[in-house]
Amino acid sequence: MSLAMAPMPIGAPRRVLAMTSRVLMPILVGWLMNWLPMVALAVEVIAHPSVATNRLSLVTAKAMFGMRQTRWPDGNPVRVFVLPDGHFVHQAFSKEVLNLYPYQLRQTWDRQVYSGTGQAPVEVATEEEMLARVSRTPGAIGYVRKVNVNEPVRVIPIQ
Amino acid sequence: MLLFGSMTTAAALAWDIGETVQAHGFLSQSAAHTTHNNYAGESADDVAFDLREIGGNISWQPDPDWLISAQALMRWAGETDDGDLRLDYGFVDRTLLSGPNRLGIQLGKIKNPYGFHNTTRDVAHTRPGVIMPQSIYLDRMRDFFLAAPGVSLYGEHAGQSVTFSWQANLVEPEVDDRELEFVFRLRDIPGHYQGKRSWYAQGLLEMDNGRWRLGLTLNDLGMEFSADDSSTNLRTRLLSLEHNRERWSFAAEYMLIDVANRPKSGNPDNTVEAYYLQATWRFMPRWQAYVRRDVIYFDKDDRDGAQFHASLPPPLRVLHPTYSRYAKDNTLGVRIDPSPSWSLFLEYHDVDGTAWLSPQDNPTGTTRDWDLFLIQAAYRF
Repeated sequence: MSLAMAPMPIGAPRRVLAMTSRVLMPILVGWLMNWLPMVALAVEVIAHPSVATNRLSLVTAKAMFGMRQTRWPDGNPVRVFVLPDGHFVHQAFSKEVLNLYPYQLRQTWDRQVYSGTGQAPVEVATEEEMLARVSRTPGAIGYVRKVNVNEPVRVIPIQ
Repeated sequence: MLLFGSMTTAAALAWDIGETVQAHGFLSQSAAHTTHNNYAGESADDVAFDLREIGGNISWQPDPDWLISAQALMRWAGETDDGDLRLDYGFVDRTLLSGPNRLGIQLGKIKNPYGFHNTTRDVAHTRPGVIMPQSIYLDRMRDFFLAAPGVSLYGEHAGQSVTFSWQANLVEPEVDDRELEFVFRLRDIPGHYQGKRSWYAQGLLEMDNGRWRLGLTLNDLGMEFSADDSSTNLRTRLLSLEHNRERWSFAAEYMLIDVANRPKSGNPDNTVEAYYLQATWRFMPRWQAYVRRDVIYFDKDDRDGAQFHASLPPPLRVLHPTYSRYAKDNTLGVRIDPSPSWSLFLEYHDVDGTAWLSPQDNPTGTTRDWDLFLIQAAYRF
C-alpha cells in the first residue's frame, strides 16, 4: 500500500501538501481500517542497536510499552517511542503485537501520568521519525511496519 | 580546556535531564443548567460556569528505579470549591523489584487507590463523563478520599494474559473542608475536621489482557472534630468490575460504607450503599456515547430518608428533606475527541433526590426531581 510517499516535485506548497499528507494519511487510513476486517500488517518491534537483547517475551513487551518496566534485562534505561493513537501502524501494533486495544494503552498511560506513578512514552508523528529517533537514542524501543536491512536499528522478535 | 570539559558535561547533563523530565497539564471548563436546584453554581433556570479545573504536573526519573513527581491543581465548583491552588500529589517512588514481579514504595502526598477512577478524578479526559459517578465518587466527600500524605507499598505480578496488582497505603486524610461538616454534621459549625491515621488496600485483577478488570478496595478512614473531640470513621468495601471490548466498555462499581461515630450519643451510625452501571459505546473513531444508572442511599436501612427526617430538630428539616438522603440518576452522554488534546462532552442527567447537592449552593432548599445539562470542553498535554 503506497501512502502518498511518492517523491514530490520541489516547491513549497507541494512540500506543505506532502507533509500534511504524511501526517494525515495514516490517521485517515487508520480511520478507514477501523471499519474493515483486520488486515495483518506485520509490525516489527525495533530497538537502538546497542540494546543487548535478542528477543522479548510478550509479558515484558507489554510492561515496557505500558511504561511499567523501565529497564532492559541488562539494566539500562528503556526509552519508549510510539506513534499517535489514531495511526494505523499504532493500531496494528497495539492489537496484533500486544493484544491490547489502543484505548487500553492510552488509559494505562493516562492513569500513570496524571497520578504521578509513571511517565508517558515519547510520541513521534511518522514511521520515518520513529526510525530516526530509535536509531539515535540509547535504550530506545519502538515499532515500524518494515525494516530495511541497512537501517541502524535492531529488530526484536516478541514471543 | 577544563572549562570546555565542564561545559560539555553540563550540556550532556541538561540533555540527560531533558530525557528524564516530563511535564503535563490539563484544563476543563463546563457550563451547567438545571431545571431546579443549584449544581456547582447558580445553575437553576440559568447557566453556571463555576465548574472548572486547571492542573499541571512534572515528573523526573533520575534513574529507572526512582521517580519524583508532583501535581498542582486549581478547581472551582460552585460554593464548595473556590480555585485555591493546592498540591494534588507530590511524592517519591522507589522501585524495589522490577520485571514481571514488581514491588515499590511511595512516600509523600499520594493519590488514594479507591475504585477505578479516584486517582485521576480531576482530569476530564480520564473521567467516564463530565462529572464522576456521584454514587461512588461523591464530590461532597472528595477531600476525604482524594489524596493524603503517607506511605504506600505496591506490587504487580504479570503473567501471559493475567496481571494482579495491589497497593496498601497508610495515610492521614486532609479533611479540613466545610462541606464535610454539612455531610456529617448537617451544618457549618465552629471547629474543623482533622484526619486520623487511616489505611487503604486495593487489589486489581486484570484478565484476558485487561478485557476483564476486577477490583476490590477496602479502607478505614478516620477524622476527629476539633471542637468536641468526637470522631467519625468510614469503613469502605468497594467492588469494581469492567469489561472492555473493541467498541464497547461496561463498568459497574458497588460500595458499602459503614459510618461509625464516637461518642455514640452524637449522630447515629449508618451504612451508605451506592452503585453505578455504565455502558460506553465507541461508535465511530473519536466518538463515544454512554449511559449510566447511578444510585446512592446515605442509609441503606432508611433508603427514603423518612426516619432520618423525623429525627431532625425542626430548624434543620428544610435544608435536609427526606430526598436529600438519596440520589437516583439516569445519565446520557456523548464525547468527541477532535484531537488527542481536546475533548468535548455533552451530558444529561435525570435525577431523583438531592444527595449530591451542597446546602452551600442551595441555602433556601431544594426540589426532589431535577434535570441537569452539562457541556464540558477539556484540553490536556
